Amino acid sequence: MTTPTAAPLTGARRSATSRRPRFVAAGTGRREILAAYVFVVPGFALYALVMLYPAVQTLLLSLRDWKITPGADSPWVGLDNYIRAFADPVFLNSLVNAVVYTIVTVPLQIVIGLFLAALLDGKLPGRVAFRVLFYLPVVTSWVVVSLLFQYIFSSNDGLANFIAVDTLHLADANINWFQGRWTGMLAICALGVWKGIGWSMIIFLAALTAVPRELHEAAAIDGAGTLARFRYVSLPAIRAALSVVAILLVIGGFNVFISVLLMSGGGPGNQTQVPLTYMYDQAFKFLNFGYGSAISFSLTALVLVVAAIQYWWTRRTMRS
Amino acid sequence: MHLKCTQSRVPNNAVRVKGNNVKSLKYVITAAAAVATLTLFGCAAGVAKSTGGIGEPSATDISGTVTFWHAYSADSPEVKTLEEVIIPGFEKKYPKVTIKDVAVPYDNLHQKLVTAVAGDQLPDLVRADIGWVPELANLGVLVPLSDDMSDFKALAATTYDGSLATNKWKDKYYGLPLDTNTRVLLYNQDVLTKAGVAVPATVNELIKAAPALKAAGAFAFADNGAGGWNMLPWIWSAGGDITNPEVTKASGFLNSDASIAGVQNLVTLEQSGYLPDIILGGSGGLATSDGLASGKYATILDGPWMYPIFASQYPAFTLTAAPVPSGPGGSISVVGGEDVVLTTSSTNKAAAAEFMRYLLSKESQLAMAKVGQMPVLKDVGSSLTQINAYFAPFSEQLKTAKPRPVTPAWSQIDTILQTEIRAAITRDKTVKQALNDAATQADALLAQYK
Repeated sequence: MTTPTAAPLTGARRSATSRRPRFVAAGTGRREILAAYVFVVPGFALYALVMLYPAVQTLLLSLRDWKITPGADSPWVGLDNYIRAFADPVFLNSLVNAVVYTIVTVPLQIVIGLFLAALLDGKLPGRVAFRVLFYLPVVTSWVVVSLLFQYIFSSNDGLANFIAVDTLHLADANINWFQGRWTGMLAICALGVWKGIGWSMIIFLAALTAVPRELHEAAAIDGAGTLARFRYVSLPAIRAALSVVAILLVIGGFNVFISVLLMSGGGPGNQTQVPLTYMYDQAFKFLNFGYGSAISFSLTALVLVVAAIQYWWTRRTMRS
Repeated sequence: MHLKCTQSRVPNNAVRVKGNNVKSLKYVITAAAAVATLTLFGCAAGVAKSTGGIGEPSATDISGTVTFWHAYSADSPEVKTLEEVIIPGFEKKYPKVTIKDVAVPYDNLHQKLVTAVAGDQLPDLVRADIGWVPELANLGVLVPLSDDMSDFKALAATTYDGSLATNKWKDKYYGLPLDTNTRVLLYNQDVLTKAGVAVPATVNELIKAAPALKAAGAFAFADNGAGGWNMLPWIWSAGGDITNPEVTKASGFLNSDASIAGVQNLVTLEQSGYLPDIILGGSGGLATSDGLASGKYATILDGPWMYPIFASQYPAFTLTAAPVPSGPGGSISVVGGEDVVLTTSSTNKAAAAEFMRYLLSKESQLAMAKVGQMPVLKDVGSSLTQINAYFAPFSEQLKTAKPRPVTPAWSQIDTILQTEIRAAITRDKTVKQALNDAATQADALLAQYK
């Protein structure tokens, strides 16, 4: 394996204090490093080919007025596309829509998901069936459910109008959901929540299952009720899962695309555009690939910043 | 393709980080954020090389394969006619040539063309929506037929002027008309009778009839958007326009008094409750065809393709047509349809050009007319009504119909129109303000293609 002198010693010393396996401690040898790289290379190569290379290409595109014709001159425009984006009212509106979508859908998915997970963590008859039912929307195609929700929110005989107007009498006449910005966003958010709940539920359920029963029993002996046990035993134990779900849902929220594209197409008149649908329009409809790439990268940067803040905050609260 | 990945975001990453390993979060988040957001564009290098001349009409020595992309409907008999009548007819005449046709759903064709341009994978011939021709020509992937096709003038002269004009980009013609259509006024006679009004021949008559139609429980008119396809008949019929004839400037045309008056007519009708608000352009409302057949809409503007649809969905409903209601500018509708274009990357231009000629022949055009595609040849007009009686009002309307402004910027101008006119309907702006704003934005776009 490695050189016979130093490595076993280091390994032996470490093994007394750490639970790490020996080969990691001894892993300063070149062969181990080499072996590690050999295992990493295939995955990294695939990642580089399908993600990294196109991402770098996209970054370069965003700095040009890119023409799609092979061999055509695509002049370098520096940061012009980025400057254009942040002066473009439609792009700024699309960011607002994405923020609204995130603010509405993320807390609802977490709260409802957590509630369902807590319910299904108990010894409920038929809980496997319920788990499957609640998870079903997650595995259903976005295309199918987007079209389904378009019907639900159709302005004539849609289910949403039946509930809002005929049953709850919230409005006098049928609401034309997709003719207005916020009513359209509401429909899109409703789909986002409905489709996302099952996913957060499953993560929470996995985390809740991992909470030791003894802790619950000890708390119960100390006189804690169901709510108190959930608050002081379960919740702290699944905090890591909570932050993961929150961070990934926020990333997903900013990247909402298919549902908007299919339900409203960003319309009417760009009212319900989100960054990715607007990027799609600019790139594939108007052939402004440079501008579309700049929109993609602006969104990437924004999402990275938001995710980094969330991560930093999570780590800080966890330490304290 | 990759776009679809953006929402398949979470599950795999997330399951891995359950538990307390917060540190690994950083990597998951970084990766997920990057993966989720970036949109990937494929690009390929290499310049298209054209080989082979365009050939003389009816050359006998042509051979090889010609690839033809189109969006003929596979649900209706269009594809069948192409594959069982037109292509065999051509191949019989030219036995050494094979036509390979590829049916692409209309909604996918534009994207497929864009990808093919980037990858230098265009076919020889494309049946392109008339709106795409200037865009493709501007990309430099189409052969200027007016320069390279010796008999272009003779072929062009046989077609409708309005259809031919859609092929012109910067003084050259990049395609030939293949099929055409336009919008006319379709109305529900029962509703008009019930309201006691005549078929509106002018815009003013339509406005006057609106209260009576409302009393009869119907909207006077309905349209599902405020883009160019929807608004141009009203603007042109009012004597207005979108751009100057050279398509370099919108200010002074789109916001002229006549254009404002044309748009104002519809905005006033909507704001008075005589138009359903599907004109705002959102999805999910009662479709114009469903509204017309069910008597909720008295009139709509639509094309000849609606006849087979009405026949299958509302067999009891008799569809009746009239010219677009006229105004000070006349009764002017908007031209739709498809052109056939030859790509610069075609390796078999001679055979491809010959197939274009065949597509424009009387026999091909009449074969397609039988399945609902209106011919572009001026001299088949009279025989058309024998094939399909419902073509008559469309043929008549086509005599004065105009194409949308021929510019690569059209799809963007179209979006601007929809957005600005919507703002006028919702009272966020006056019609004048809205069209002023639209004209300013359109000017900036048109300036890019001068």
